[in-house]
Amino acid sequence: MGIGMTMAVAVATLVLAPIVAGVLNGIDRRFTARLQGRVGPPLAQPFYDVIKLLGKELIVVNRLQLIWAWGFFGFAAASLVLLILGGDLLVVVFSVGFAAVCLALGALSVKSPYSYLGGIRELWQMLSYEPILLASVVGIYLAKGSFLVDVILKDSWPLIAQLPLVFIALLLVLTIKMRKSPFDISTSHHAHQEIVKGVTTEYSGPYLALIELGHWYELMFMLTLIALFWANPIWIGILIALICFLLEMIVDVTWARMTWRWMLRVSLAVGLALVGVNLAILTFFNG
Amino acid sequence: MSILRTSRIKSPWLLHFDSGSCNGCDIEVLACLTPLYDIERFGIVNQGNPKHADILLVTGSGNPRNARVLKNLYNQMPDPKVVVAIGACGCSGGIFRDAFNTLGGIDNIIPVDVYVPGCASRPEAIIDGVVKALGKLAEKGAAMDRKKVPQEAKV
Amino acid sequence: MTGSFLLGFLILFPFVAAFIAWAIPSHGLRGAWVWITAAAMAIASIVFLLVTKGAYAPDLPNSESAGILIGILDLLLLLFFLYVGIRAKSWVITILTLVQLFPFVWLEWMSGRHPAVSPTFIADPLAIIMVLVISIVGSVICIYATRYMVEHEEHLHLGKSRQRRFMFYMILFLGAMNGLVLSNNLLWIYFFWEVTTFVCYQLILHDLTPIAVTNAQRALWMNLIGGVAFVAALIIADVSFETLSLRTIATEHPRELAILFPVFLLALAGFAKAAQVPFHGWLLGAMVAPTPVSALLHSSTMVKAGAYLVLRLAPAFHATPFSIVVAVFGGFVLLMTAVMALGQSNAKKVLAYSTIGNLGLIILCAGINTPLAISAGIILVIFHAISKAILFMTVGAIENRIGSRDIEDMEGLCNVAPMLTGVLVIGVLSMIAPPFGVLIGKWAALEAGTGVMSRWSFVVILLLALGSSVTVVFWLKWLARVLCAVPETETCKPTPLPAAYNVSLWGMVFLLCILSAVAAPLVTGLVVPAVDSWYNAKTSIGMTTNWGLTLDNGFVPILYFVVIGLVFLVAPALTIRVQRERVKPVYMCGENIEYKTSWHGLADGTFDLAVGGSYFSRDIGEEKLNMWAIYLGLGALVFALAMTLMMFQI
Repeated sequence: MGIGMTMAVAVATLVLAPIVAGVLNGIDRRFTARLQGRVGPPLAQPFYDVIKLLGKELIVVNRLQLIWAWGFFGFAAASLVLLILGGDLLVVVFSVGFAAVCLALGALSVKSPYSYLGGIRELWQMLSYEPILLASVVGIYLAKGSFLVDVILKDSWPLIAQLPLVFIALLLVLTIKMRKSPFDISTSHHAHQEIVKGVTTEYSGPYLALIELGHWYELMFMLTLIALFWANPIWIGILIALICFLLEMIVDVTWARMTWRWMLRVSLAVGLALVGVNLAILTFFNG
Repeated sequence: MSILRTSRIKSPWLLHFDSGSCNGCDIEVLACLTPLYDIERFGIVNQGNPKHADILLVTGSGNPRNARVLKNLYNQMPDPKVVVAIGACGCSGGIFRDAFNTLGGIDNIIPVDVYVPGCASRPEAIIDGVVKALGKLAEKGAAMDRKKVPQEAKV
Repeated sequence: MTGSFLLGFLILFPFVAAFIAWAIPSHGLRGAWVWITAAAMAIASIVFLLVTKGAYAPDLPNSESAGILIGILDLLLLLFFLYVGIRAKSWVITILTLVQLFPFVWLEWMSGRHPAVSPTFIADPLAIIMVLVISIVGSVICIYATRYMVEHEEHLHLGKSRQRRFMFYMILFLGAMNGLVLSNNLLWIYFFWEVTTFVCYQLILHDLTPIAVTNAQRALWMNLIGGVAFVAALIIADVSFETLSLRTIATEHPRELAILFPVFLLALAGFAKAAQVPFHGWLLGAMVAPTPVSALLHSSTMVKAGAYLVLRLAPAFHATPFSIVVAVFGGFVLLMTAVMALGQSNAKKVLAYSTIGNLGLIILCAGINTPLAISAGIILVIFHAISKAILFMTVGAIENRIGSRDIEDMEGLCNVAPMLTGVLVIGVLSMIAPPFGVLIGKWAALEAGTGVMSRWSFVVILLLALGSSVTVVFWLKWLARVLCAVPETETCKPTPLPAAYNVSLWGMVFLLCILSAVAAPLVTGLVVPAVDSWYNAKTSIGMTTNWGLTLDNGFVPILYFVVIGLVFLVAPALTIRVQRERVKPVYMCGENIEYKTSWHGLADGTFDLAVGGSYFSRDIGEEKLNMWAIYLGLGALVFALAMTLMMFQI
C-alpha cells in the first residue's frame, strides 16, 4: 500500500470505528433491556450521550487527569488503526496496553476515594487480561509463523482451528475489556454505585466523551482481534465476533459482579491455563 | 446546533438526592427506573455522580445540614443543568413546612426549574416533570452556548 | 587518537582520576575535577566507537608483565577480603576467600600453565556498547553524586566529610568496569570482577552505620560465591580445554556438551553478580548505601556485568538443553521479583527488585539464544541502564527533599516537587511504555520466545507474559501515590533544581528520548553487528527497517509511537492550562469542605481524606515469599549444576 492508501485507510478507520461501535453499544443497551423485560433506549442512544457530553461545560479537578485522558484516547485509536493497517500484533497489543495504563493513571491522578479505588481495580483488571493477551498473540505466531496481520489474513486455515483454547481465553479478555459482569470491576455503564463510577468518577463533559470514544476504539480493537480467528473469508470472522458480542450481553445480564480477587484468580488460573495448554500443544508437537 | 439540542433532550442523566424526605417520593423515583416505567427508553440513566449528571432530582424539604451537601452537589454539576423538586416537601416543605429544622422547600437552597407536586408524587408525574425539565435543559444549553458563562448556586 | 590509546585511556584514566579526586581537598575543585573526568570519559568512549567501528581486537604487546601485575593485585585483593573476614569474625567470608585464594595461587604461579590468550582485548560492538553505557551513564551518575553527597552529608550532620573516599571509589569503578568488558583473558576479567566486588563492598559500608556494615559483608560473601565459581571455571577451562580466552570458550566449542560445566560456573558467577534469586538478598540490602551507589553499581553497570557475561557465553550453550534451563530460570526470576516488588513500599527496594527482574529478563534472552533474543538482551542492557539510572537518581533527589524513601510519603509529590515528579513519571513510563527502549526490548524478547528450539518454550512465554504484566502493576501503584493530586486551585510553582541534578537528570532523560526515537538505526547500527560478530549470524529485526517507518511490508512503525506520544501526551502536558473557575472538588458525596479533601463527618467534625497504597504484605510480603524464592532459585541452580556436571563427565 502506498502512503496515500495507508492514510485513507487510517482516516476511514478513525471515522468509521466509533460509528460502528456506537451502533453496537446501542444494540447492546436495547438487547439488554429486552432481556430484562424493558423496552430500552433507541439504537442511536450512545451517539446522543457522547454528543451531549461534548456540549457540557468543561469542569476539571486537575490537569493531570486531562493529559492521561488524551493519552488513553490517542493510544486506543492508534492501536486500532495499526491493527487494521496490518501491523505486528505484539506491538499493537503493547500499544493497547499502554492505553489502559493511561486510563488507570488518569483515575489515579486525583486524590478522590472512588477514583482511586477504581484506578487500583483497573490495575488488577490489567493484570488479569494482559498476560492472556500477550501469550495469545505469541500463540498466534506459533500457529501461523508470523506476527503480522497480513500473513494471518492470507492463510486459508482458520486460527480458531489451531487455537481453540486461546479463543476461549480471549473471550474472557473481551468480557473484562467490555466491562461486563462478572468483570465490571473498575467501572461500568450500569448503576453499580459502590465506588460511584470508579475510574470515570472525576471526569465529566467533554473529557468523559473522550474516554467513552476511547472505550469504543478499544471495543472495536477486541472485536477485530476476535474476527481474526477466522480470517479467510473474513465475513465469517466478523460474524463470530458479533456472536461473541451477543454472548457477552447475555453473560452480562445473567451474572452478578464479582470481586477483583475472584477475577484475578479466574483469569490467571483458568484463562492463562487455557492459553498455556494450547501453547504447550503447539510447541510440544512442533518443536 | 440542533443535533446538540436533540442530544441534550435525548440523553438526560440523573442525579437523585434525598434532602430529608420520608423516602416516599424516593421510592416513586426508583420505581421509574424499573421495567414497568422504564425511563431508560428516554435515555435517562441514574448516574449517581454529579459530574456526570444533567438533571438533579431532589426530594425532601431540606434542612441546614443537607443544604450544605445539596449546594456542593449542585456546584459540582456541569452546565447545562436543571433541578427538579419532587413532592410536596420539595416544592414548599409540605406538611413539615413550619418545622423548626426544615428550610421549607428546595428553592430556598438552590434554584429549582420544575416542581412536581404530590405526596408521594406518582411515577407518571415524575416522568412528566423530567420531560418538562428537558425543555428547560435545552434552553439553558442554548443560552450557555451563546454566552459561555458558568452558573453558580445562590449562597 | 588511535584505538589502543583510547582503550588504555578508558581503562586506566579512571584509576588515575580517582587518586586525583581523592587528593583534592576542596569540595568545589573536586566537583570540577569530577565534571572534567565525566566529560573526558564520555567523549573518549564516543570517539572510541567512531575510531574502531566495533572491529578492534588488539594484542597487548607486553601482556606477560601486565598479567603478572594483575595477578599480584588480585592476590592483594583476596588477602584484603581475608582480612575483612577475619576482622569481622565472619567465617563465611573467610572460608569463601580461602577457597578462592588457594586455587587462584595455584593457577597463577604454581601450575606452570600459561596459555597465551590472544587477543588480549576485544572491542567488538557489544564491548563498545557496554563501554558507552559505563562511560556515559556512569559519568553522569558521578556528576549527580557530587551534589547528592553534599546534601546527604548535611542530612547526616557529618562532621568530617567523607566525600573524597566516595568519589575515589566511584571513579575507580568506571575503570574496572571498562576493563571487565574489554578484556578477553579470563584471568583479567576475574581481576576486574573482584575489583568491582571490592568497590561494591567499600561503597555499601560508606555510611559506616551498623546496618551498612552488615549489608556490605553480605554483599561481599554472596559475590565471593560467584568468585569461587569463577576460579573453578578458570581452572577447568585451563586444565581441560587449554584456554583462558573468553572468546574461545564461548564461541569456538559449539555444541560441545563438556564445556557446559565451566560455562555454567561462569554463568553462576554472573548470577551472583547480577543478584539473581537466590542471591538477591545482597542487592536488597545494598539499598542502604547512598543513592549514587545504587544508581551506578546496583542497576546500571556492575550488576549488568553479570548479565553481560551470560550474554557473552550464550553461543557456548546454544542449542543445548542448558539453554532452556537458563531461559526458564531468567523467567522465574522476572516473575518472582515482580511479585515481591508488589508488596514493597520502600522505593529503593522496589527499584532493586525491578533491576533484578530486568536482569532476569536479559538472562532469559540469553537462554532463548537466537540472534533476535540476544539483540533483545543487548537492547535491554542499554535502555534499562539509562532508565534505572534516571529512576535511582530521582529517588535520591526526592529522598533528600522530603526526607523519606517510602512510597507512602511520596503522596501528592506532584504538588510539592513537580520537576522531580515529572522526571520520575518519565522514568517509570520508560520502563513500561512504548516507544521507550525497555518495552522494545521486551517486545523483541517475546518475539524471540517463539523461536526457542525446545518443547518447553511455552513455559518461557508464559513466564515472560505474566512477569511483564506484574511489573506494570507495581510501577503504576507507585505512580498512583506520586500523582495523587488535590484539586488544582493554585498552580504549583516548580523550584529550580541544583545544576548537578539538572544536568544528570534532564541529561539522561534527553539521552533516553533521543535513543528511543532513533532506536531503529541504533539497533541496526550497533546491536545487530554486536550479535552478528559474536554469533556469526545474519540477524534481521523487523521493526528496524527504514527507521521503523515502513508499512509496505507490514512492519509496525516504532516511530509512530513517538508521534502519538508527542501528540497525545507531551502536547497536552505542555499546553493544557486549567482555568481557576473550572476547577471543582472531588466527589465525596457532597460532604466536602470547599475544595479541600476533607469533609464534615460525625458530629459535624472535620475529617481528612486518607488514601493509602495497597501492599498485601500478609500475602506477598517479603517475609512470606523470600524463603520460597530462595528454595526455588537454589533448586534451579542445583538442577543446572547436576545437568552440566553430568555432561562434563561424558
